[in-house]
Amino acid sequence: MTPGVLLSLAAVGWVVGIASGRWFSRIWLGFTLAGAAAGLGAAVMVLFGGMDWEWRSSVAVGGEPIHLHLDALSALFLALLCGVGGAGAMYARGYWSEEHYPASAPRGRAWWSALLSSMGLVLLSANGLHFLIGWELFTVSAFFLVTLDRQNPEVRAAGWLYLAASHVGTVCLFAFFCTLAARTGSWDLGPMREQVGLAPLFWAALAGFSVKAGVFPLHVWLPSAHANAPSHVSSILSGVAIKMGVYGIVRFSGWLPVPAAAGWVLIGLGATSALLGIAFAFAQSDFKRLLAYCSVENVGVILVGVGGALIAAAHGDEPWGRLALAGALLHVWNHGAFKALLFLGAGSVLHATGTREMSKLGGLWRSMPWTAGLFALGSLAVSGLPPLNGFISEWLVYLGLFEAALGKGPAAWAAIPAAIMLAMAGALAMASFAKAGAMIFLGSPRSHFAAAAHECGLGMRVPMLALAGVCVLMGLAPVLFWPAVARAVGSWHPAWVAAPAPDSMATLGSVHLGFGILVLAGAAWLWRMALGNGLRRGLTWDCGYAAPVARMQYTSSSFGGIVSGWFRWVLQPERKMHRPRGPFPAGALRLERVPETVLERVIGPVGVAILHVSTSVRRLQHGRLQYYILYVVAGLIALGVLVSMGGVP
Amino acid sequence: MISFLGFLLRLAFWLLVAPLLPGIINKVKAWVAGRRGPPTLQLYYDLAKLWRKGVVLSTLASPGFVAGPAVAWVALISAAMLMPLGAAGGALSFRGDVLLLIYLLALARFCTAWAAMETGSAFEGMGAAREVSYAVLSEAALFAAVLALGIHTGSVSLVTMLSPMAGAGALLLAAGLFTVLLAENCRVPFDDPNTHLELTMIHEVMVLDHSGPPLAVILHGASVKLLLFTLLLVQAVLPMGGLSSAGAAGALAAGVLGVTVAVGLVESLMARLAFRRVPLLLTTAFLFCLFALLMAWKGGA
Repeated sequence: MTPGVLLSLAAVGWVVGIASGRWFSRIWLGFTLAGAAAGLGAAVMVLFGGMDWEWRSSVAVGGEPIHLHLDALSALFLALLCGVGGAGAMYARGYWSEEHYPASAPRGRAWWSALLSSMGLVLLSANGLHFLIGWELFTVSAFFLVTLDRQNPEVRAAGWLYLAASHVGTVCLFAFFCTLAARTGSWDLGPMREQVGLAPLFWAALAGFSVKAGVFPLHVWLPSAHANAPSHVSSILSGVAIKMGVYGIVRFSGWLPVPAAAGWVLIGLGATSALLGIAFAFAQSDFKRLLAYCSVENVGVILVGVGGALIAAAHGDEPWGRLALAGALLHVWNHGAFKALLFLGAGSVLHATGTREMSKLGGLWRSMPWTAGLFALGSLAVSGLPPLNGFISEWLVYLGLFEAALGKGPAAWAAIPAAIMLAMAGALAMASFAKAGAMIFLGSPRSHFAAAAHECGLGMRVPMLALAGVCVLMGLAPVLFWPAVARAVGSWHPAWVAAPAPDSMATLGSVHLGFGILVLAGAAWLWRMALGNGLRRGLTWDCGYAAPVARMQYTSSSFGGIVSGWFRWVLQPERKMHRPRGPFPAGALRLERVPETVLERVIGPVGVAILHVSTSVRRLQHGRLQYYILYVVAGLIALGVLVSMGGVP
Repeated sequence: MISFLGFLLRLAFWLLVAPLLPGIINKVKAWVAGRRGPPTLQLYYDLAKLWRKGVVLSTLASPGFVAGPAVAWVALISAAMLMPLGAAGGALSFRGDVLLLIYLLALARFCTAWAAMETGSAFEGMGAAREVSYAVLSEAALFAAVLALGIHTGSVSLVTMLSPMAGAGALLLAAGLFTVLLAENCRVPFDDPNTHLELTMIHEVMVLDHSGPPLAVILHGASVKLLLFTLLLVQAVLPMGGLSSAGAAGALAAGVLGVTVAVGLVESLMARLAFRRVPLLLTTAFLFCLFALLMAWKGGA
């Protein structure tokens, strides 16, 4: 078996999936899973086997010969695609089933396979034109998946926003690839670091890929698309699709020469995204939006690592640059695993209750123990807490930044603020997930939706369990995954060839293992002690309240109130207050909403202004022929005057 | 075998010595107020009693209500085991262990907040919200302090990085870390460990509904955390390089005692701050640590 054979199998599996998805859900699932397994196999062979795979064919598509290429870097992303794609496919059968959604379920299956294949094409193609074709197919299939439930106007709006924003990014990518092809004389892609003149093109690529990656000011499409898409779609959007933007940035910063400022800009963008993304997440009361904003944060963490690596490469500081990049790439995997898990968990909650509003939920652990436990595990992982996988990658990024700071070189000026901002983002992530988990699963149900919840079926539980298993395994045995990441780092920078795992990482892994065992033992012991001493159930004591009701509980916005206050300058929360007045108050009201600030306060007004200007210009075009003739005559006269006065037309 | 014995001794130190600190603080407070105060060993008696008591569980609580304190306690003890004890070093030392220590503290915080939210009580929700929010600022200050120490010593592992700077840098770091210690351990002026029934507290309000062994574990964990921060502060600012190992141990003990008494004095002489002032004080602590960082940077250049 070579990677080539496995990749062809994956392609066959997914194409059959596209064809059969509409009618035969079992066959579709079988072929999609088989395709994912084959793709994963190919990625693993490249990542752990040591040889890149390359295939050139004389067959031309769009006038360009096919050139496919799978090196460790693209294999890393391919592995993620296959893992999350497979888990999501399995979940979709239970979650977006035929009986609930007779119209959209078949469409969803076909588009799912289309999305997987097109993302695979993007990862494999080493030709600018085919990359763009793959990119566009991927964008469009994701659009149709986001808008599966298109009867809902909110979903349609989210879909259009996604499509429009994606195309703004695609325009930049068109400019990037066309200029690149014009400068180099070929659409073929590959390492071209020695052609220094290409460096400024990096900015076009960065702009295009950042939109997809959801980097902070360009993330406008991300929250609403993630929130309104069906949850299995959100999981692949967040777990994989935005990583394609990251892939683009990493790929082309490795293949092309980069401007001197690139690393600094990336680390700045990353740190800002991390801190502001998570500040927005903490302020949300819609749990899927919270998860979506948290993706903005995690992309920020990844970009900090990539930016650090670029700075290190520019200054020839191999050791810490390698750590930072390895951390970033490992975080790509980690975030894919725990965020997909969290979105699938969110899907189960949505499936069971029908609301995304955290302040209407509560107490779900009783009816959904599996989902609650898995969501809690995902929360620990996403907050970067030991002993799970999130900590490993954040630790590597921090270690890179610390070593940069210790070097006291120019890089320290970027590393120190970035490390402190990441620390704050980490604390806020923990706060956000303490809030999300607590609001959804703990306390007492705040509405009848929550009271009538039910656990998800086995078909939805198995993929979540698999993802949770990956989170645990990567946390307890990080050294197993190191060779893959080290090879990806090596294919990013040819001089940073694979190095053995740092000793401290092996130690950290064993500490995690020991700690994990101790935690389980400690919890079991305390539980036994409590049972042995006698355990009584009673009302929540709550300073002696006799009759606590569900409405008295802390809500999502009260929990986030303190931090929202600190970030009021960027969150711009809207408040509506109506205080109770007089001895017999008739009513009181307090509404709080955190808007999509960048969209509503920046892009919206600018768009309206542009529309306004263009509408007034449009008055010139009214369809009356005599005026058009007048324009022509006036233009000719003006031209004549200009020429007669000596100007050159 | 020796290392295993050393490990056990270290564990015993943390388990047995930590509950002494709150007792000393209470004695100092009593002494300043002219009272006799509870015995210094009061916390030990409390823990022994709680350990034998039954548990009342809220009807709303899931098993996480008991698991939370257990995980938090294991996390705090593990963090403590990483902390070097003078010449004896840490139980385990590797590059970047300081990050693990900070994140283990964060894990403990997450679990405590999670367990607090289990009860569905507004009081506990309030405490948890405050705890996780203020942690953002104190974590920033802690990172700045750690970066300062790292830049000063050129190391990212605790054993080597806890070698104090001299002069103004040490003073700044001491001020910053002492403030973080007060905030993280819920002492005055951030929180008042005495007012169990007030709306105005952070940590104590999160544990209102705990009882029996889980409460014992929480109280013990809190004392371990206090000792951990005290030791961090002392070793970060007290120069002990020239002393023999016995002398260093003595200096360390004296330093810990000094900090504990200082906490008690602060508690006796100051009132709790209004809540809107808390972020301000924490930001000041952050700035202290940041200036210490700049001093460290300049010092070695």
